[in-house]
Amino acid sequence: MSARPLTEAHPRSAPAGRTLLRLGPLRAPVRRRPLLVAAALVALLAAAGVLSLSLGTPYVAPPDVLRALTGAGTPYDLVVLDLRLPRLVLAAVAGAAFGVAGTLVQSVSRNPLASPDVIGITQGAGLAATVALTSGVAAVLIAPAALLGGLAAAAAVFALGARHGLAAQRFVLAGVAVAFGVRALIEVVLMAADPIDGMRAQIWLLGTLAGKGWTETAWIAATLLALLPALLWAGWALNSTALDDDTARGLGLRPVARRVGLAGTGVLAAAMATAQVGAVDFVALVAPQLARRLVRAERPPLLCSALLGALLLTLADLAGRRLFAPTQLPAGVLTAAIGGPYLIFLLLRRRRGPS
Amino acid sequence: MLSTRDLVVGYDERTVLDGLDLTLPADAFTVIVGPNACGKSTLLRTMARLLTPSRGAVLLDGTAIRDLPTREVAQRLGVLPQSPLVPEGVTVADLVGRGRQPYQRWWRQWSERDGAAVDEAMALADVAALADRPVDTLSGGQRQRVWIAMTLAQDTETLLLDEPTTFLDLAHQVEVLDLLHRLRVERGRTVVAVLHDLNQAARYADHLVAMRAGRVVAVGPPREILTVELVRDVFGLDCVVVPCPVSGAPLVVPALTTPSLTAAVPAALPDSSSALPDGSSTTAPSAVSSSTPSAVSSSTTSSAVSSSAGPSAG
Repeated sequence: MSARPLTEAHPRSAPAGRTLLRLGPLRAPVRRRPLLVAAALVALLAAAGVLSLSLGTPYVAPPDVLRALTGAGTPYDLVVLDLRLPRLVLAAVAGAAFGVAGTLVQSVSRNPLASPDVIGITQGAGLAATVALTSGVAAVLIAPAALLGGLAAAAAVFALGARHGLAAQRFVLAGVAVAFGVRALIEVVLMAADPIDGMRAQIWLLGTLAGKGWTETAWIAATLLALLPALLWAGWALNSTALDDDTARGLGLRPVARRVGLAGTGVLAAAMATAQVGAVDFVALVAPQLARRLVRAERPPLLCSALLGALLLTLADLAGRRLFAPTQLPAGVLTAAIGGPYLIFLLLRRRRGPS
Repeated sequence: MLSTRDLVVGYDERTVLDGLDLTLPADAFTVIVGPNACGKSTLLRTMARLLTPSRGAVLLDGTAIRDLPTREVAQRLGVLPQSPLVPEGVTVADLVGRGRQPYQRWWRQWSERDGAAVDEAMALADVAALADRPVDTLSGGQRQRVWIAMTLAQDTETLLLDEPTTFLDLAHQVEVLDLLHRLRVERGRTVVAVLHDLNQAARYADHLVAMRAGRVVAVGPPREILTVELVRDVFGLDCVVVPCPVSGAPLVVPALTTPSLTAAVPAALPDSSSALPDGSSTTAPSAVSSSTPSAVSSSTTSSAVSSSAGPSAG
């Protein structure tokens, strides 16, 4: 270690390893690596999309898929545009919402194992959906009920965790407690339900994209669009969630308000996505951590997590459709199958890493 | 200039500070001392608005701090809490860059001034060479300098530090205190720190605040107020105060209180107690006598450190 300071002749035009993004009055230092990763993820997502549109019965060759997409008019227009495309877009949009929600919840809780499906949001939506499905409510009301259920669970978590300013540990503990309590209630409702209704509820609880499309997509996309200003702010505010409250206050930040804002944004995205596609597990948990490792950042990156969430759910739905064809597995089963081994991987990595 | 008016602060039922009035001089290095649980950290944390007083106010240049926007306060008043949490994997340059938060908005996250301030802060705290290292791989002393660099990047006229030398070994303690001293002398910053070590406080402080049980007992330059009576009043400890052989500042030496320690004296103590002053005065007598307390050279300091560390370790 040298005793003399190494002063640079010119001040850094941007922090180390970053490029300064200038867009009108906007000034944001962005790392180069996340941009590359994001570009690669977009390319992969496009490839997975074409694959998803082409595989199935009947098989549509990728050139025909592209022709159908560009409106050239092919015999496959019905299959590609009306049957497969809505489901594909829904997978991508819901996956992105889960990725965003996971990033926000994990950053606020400073915990790589926290996600909407761990802190009770998914369970809350699941309980409301189960009650709706087993009590013969009109089908159009199931998603709104699930949304309210998810938000109610989140409100409970916030209320329980609020006493110490939604501190990281307390937030997660409150969430886990709510998740367990609500899960028990789901079991009670299922036990009491008519077996046929119970089965339908079980499938909802696994999360599936089958038979869903533009309507569900529109709801999630509208939610993400409405949250866009919050998400732009979040990309910036997430930088300070790793600081302790005293340090953050010293820097003129309001850490509690920040956490509530960030977690609230994540909860809205997760609750809406869950309400539309059901309790798809693990995407929100895995996508942010995987993205964080890809970009080698100290916290999950928002944009790359969203893209990776979209890619994961697209692939999970494709695999669910094709792996045991003609039997279709719900996408939630596939994401859970990826999620389990991933958690083991995370544990092994943590033990080996420099802590 | 920072001052408090009729400050009452407590946790739950317990009142820690009860009607405290204090004015801290600008452009000075103020050190707050006192026994454990006397309220010195509470005072510092309240002045840094990390705690909210139940009565009274903290005034920054005459305006109550709670009436100022928190962002503006952060541009004028920097604070280093006692043991800040190091974000996992964050690099030194990144962490120092967080000090620029009060000047940034989500649409303007970086400016040329931010870059210049970060570079200057890292140079000043001597961590520029570590810029790309993850903070969690650094030693305690380096880490503390990084945190100080972060508060320096904040570019505030006043800096509050809560026990900045705790958990550091003696050499690193001196390093941090030297840095704070330089900030005051070379940059005209107002520095306020809570310290545990009375002798370090006496050497570095321009202005000493002695507290006991939530009240200020004495205020002033260490050479004027640090007396046998004050130490007995504040700490309940009998001691001898002698001029420090290196800096000339008051040096507090606790009196022998236990008979068994007295019995052991002939064997161990005369040796070690005479080795320090004799040793350093024979090696560089002129340097010691001519140097003011503010200009203690690092070589003199480190030789004093090593000669005192030897006997006590053995």
